[in-house]
Amino acid sequence: MTENLIETRGITYSVAEKRIIDRISISVKRGEFVGLVGPNGAGKTTLLRLLIGVLPPTGGEILLEDRRLQEFRLRERARRVAYLSQETTTVFPYPVLDILLMGRYPFLGRFRRESESDLEKARRALAYVGLRGFEERYFNELSGGERQLVLFAKILVQETELLLLDEPTSNLDIKHQDQFFSMAFELTREKKAVVAAVHNLNIASQYCSRLILLHRGRVATEGKPEEVLRSDWLDPVYETKTVVTRNTSTGALVVDVAPRTRAGRQPMPLIHIIGGAGSAINLTRELVRRGYRISGGIAHEYDADQKLWQTLEIPSLVTGAFSHITTKDLEKAYTLVEEADLTVLCSFPIGPGNEGNLELAGHARRLVILEAGPREEPRLFFSPSARSDFSALAAKSEQMDYGRLCELLESGELFRGARKRRG
Amino acid sequence: MRRGKTAVLLLLILILLVVVVLSIGSGAVRVPPLSILRVLLHGIGIRSIELPPEMQLSIILHIRLPRVMAAMLVGAALAMGGVAMQGLFRNPMASPDILGVSTGASLGAVIAVTTGLFAVNVFFLPLLAIIGALIAATLIYLVSSYKGKTSLLFVVLAGLAISSLFNGLVSAILLFSQQYEVSQFIFWTMGGLEGRMWKHVLLPLPLLVPGMAVLFLFSRELNLFALGEESAHSLGMHVERTKRIILAITAVVTGLAISISGPIGFVGLLIPHLFRMLIGPDHRLLLPVSAVGGALFLLMSDLLGRILIPPFEIRVGIITAVLGSPYFLYLIIRYQRKGLRGFGYD
Repeated sequence: MTENLIETRGITYSVAEKRIIDRISISVKRGEFVGLVGPNGAGKTTLLRLLIGVLPPTGGEILLEDRRLQEFRLRERARRVAYLSQETTTVFPYPVLDILLMGRYPFLGRFRRESESDLEKARRALAYVGLRGFEERYFNELSGGERQLVLFAKILVQETELLLLDEPTSNLDIKHQDQFFSMAFELTREKKAVVAAVHNLNIASQYCSRLILLHRGRVATEGKPEEVLRSDWLDPVYETKTVVTRNTSTGALVVDVAPRTRAGRQPMPLIHIIGGAGSAINLTRELVRRGYRISGGIAHEYDADQKLWQTLEIPSLVTGAFSHITTKDLEKAYTLVEEADLTVLCSFPIGPGNEGNLELAGHARRLVILEAGPREEPRLFFSPSARSDFSALAAKSEQMDYGRLCELLESGELFRGARKRRG
Repeated sequence: MRRGKTAVLLLLILILLVVVVLSIGSGAVRVPPLSILRVLLHGIGIRSIELPPEMQLSIILHIRLPRVMAAMLVGAALAMGGVAMQGLFRNPMASPDILGVSTGASLGAVIAVTTGLFAVNVFFLPLLAIIGALIAATLIYLVSSYKGKTSLLFVVLAGLAISSLFNGLVSAILLFSQQYEVSQFIFWTMGGLEGRMWKHVLLPLPLLVPGMAVLFLFSRELNLFALGEESAHSLGMHVERTKRIILAITAVVTGLAISISGPIGFVGLLIPHLFRMLIGPDHRLLLPVSAVGGALFLLMSDLLGRILIPPFEIRVGIITAVLGSPYFLYLIIRYQRKGLRGFGYD
């Protein structure tokens, strides 16, 4: 006996000549949490339907515990594989307990009533999903999230080794979504296997032990989340530009779509952003969204602002991590600042390492200094010279907080005023 | 909670017994309840009880009792058919008459009568009624399994179309047939229980009762349909096979009921809906409760028709139509306004 709980060998599913699943060969072992990812229409749901046997494959074969899936009697199969579909409504008002007991159907003969142990299993499953006391509530009067949890409990009552979940959390809030996935993850520690179609790549990366990326009915790639969730795989499949990073607070992989410029119209003003320590992130996104031409710097290597400029391919100047800004850096930066219609000095702490940026700001044709907003920490200074240089600079420039700057961008006043002044 | 619901069943049976006695007693010749009880007790084997006078006995045994039996059988069969179809299609507006199965049975019966097959062998009447019901059920099955999402009203409208077609055929055949009789015409389009004898009741009985029993055995499957067909399949149910079996048995049961009484409307719609609100949708209880409830409903409707304007009788089909049509209309309006929530369902 191989370790594989379920395995597909080149399965194909076609509808009217169109291959919805195209020669897919995958296998799932006990203890694995496999996430099926891919854009809408990639074939995630169809693959699950083939695995449960609701749809018969038009080619290839599926092995469940090394036996062909079709050879199983339906009830036998239902004792080994459970399926959570996307359908979460019932027409008639069944109590939750009745729904749960339906999970015992594959174990009960036509003439047998549910035993006390069946009832016990149902109650335990309900308590496990955190809905103790919901036994007599009407299923169709529950919220979408609660219904999903009840249906999950129902497939737990089925006591199968393999669980197939079709987008189980698509209408859950983040708390329930996380709860749901951590419960499914628990199951894999009991040597059960879970295969879930997942839309949310971030949650998939957190809980799945393996991801299978589907693209037009084929496996584009598979592997550990960090191997699959890479822009060079994702971009062609999702037909967009993705940015994959690690969340600096949680360490989780984060997949985002890169902000896109609103194209067209007349040439937009050039804005140079002086940032650091993540202070320029919001402003950069906002300006990109509005279609401004942007340059950035000087920032340190590995700085959050610098990474953003790099992924967005914004021309920027960088200096070594933790080093001082040198005269050489400054000379290169002056050209950027002098070309810019506007330079914005973001609200970052200033110390010996980045004091040079104040000097750079002094060269601006027009300078706006961003001050901390009402709910933000005020700017910090880590050297006396930084404080005095900043005060000198502030005396001869416009100052405002980020909110005000956005207002001016929105109304268009920012550059109307500038033109008048220049004229 | 479940115990309370079982009590509903016992209570219904009790009421049914009372109405049986009332029903046997009422009519042109009044029979005192005590005489009826004497006959019934004698009938169940207590031979020491003295039987009432010959004339009363004769009325009870040969006129009233078969009619009461017919009403109960037909009511129970139609109500169970309604439960099965509503559960199967997950549609609170389905029933054998709305979906055209009843008119299919009528058409079969009319063909048996007008072609003279009925005169050759009495079995041809229930047989052709069953075949007609099966044809209608097949059409509904094909419509409902048509690819894509079928909405609740879609199946209902398709059923109404099938029903109208068969109704037209019934009328046409009766009008053109040589032994055209008004009473026949009324019976096979409106339904009724007058003149029902033991032969009408006993002929379909050997198939009707097992049919209803088998429907009951499928109650767990009917419950599973509530989860949706994919989930039901994943739980190990042969969805299409089960659907065909339940539909076929519903057609047989309905066909047999209609061979007794002609097409009687709205029992199959009204009763399941009413009792689902009372005891919940679990078919293991809903089927037996609806059977007793259907029997009671039809018996009471028939009694009402007999005592309302003596010496005339109002046909039971008219009574159920008068009670049922407004209710059906009300269901549709509620569905239109609130969607399924209007039914107290989601």
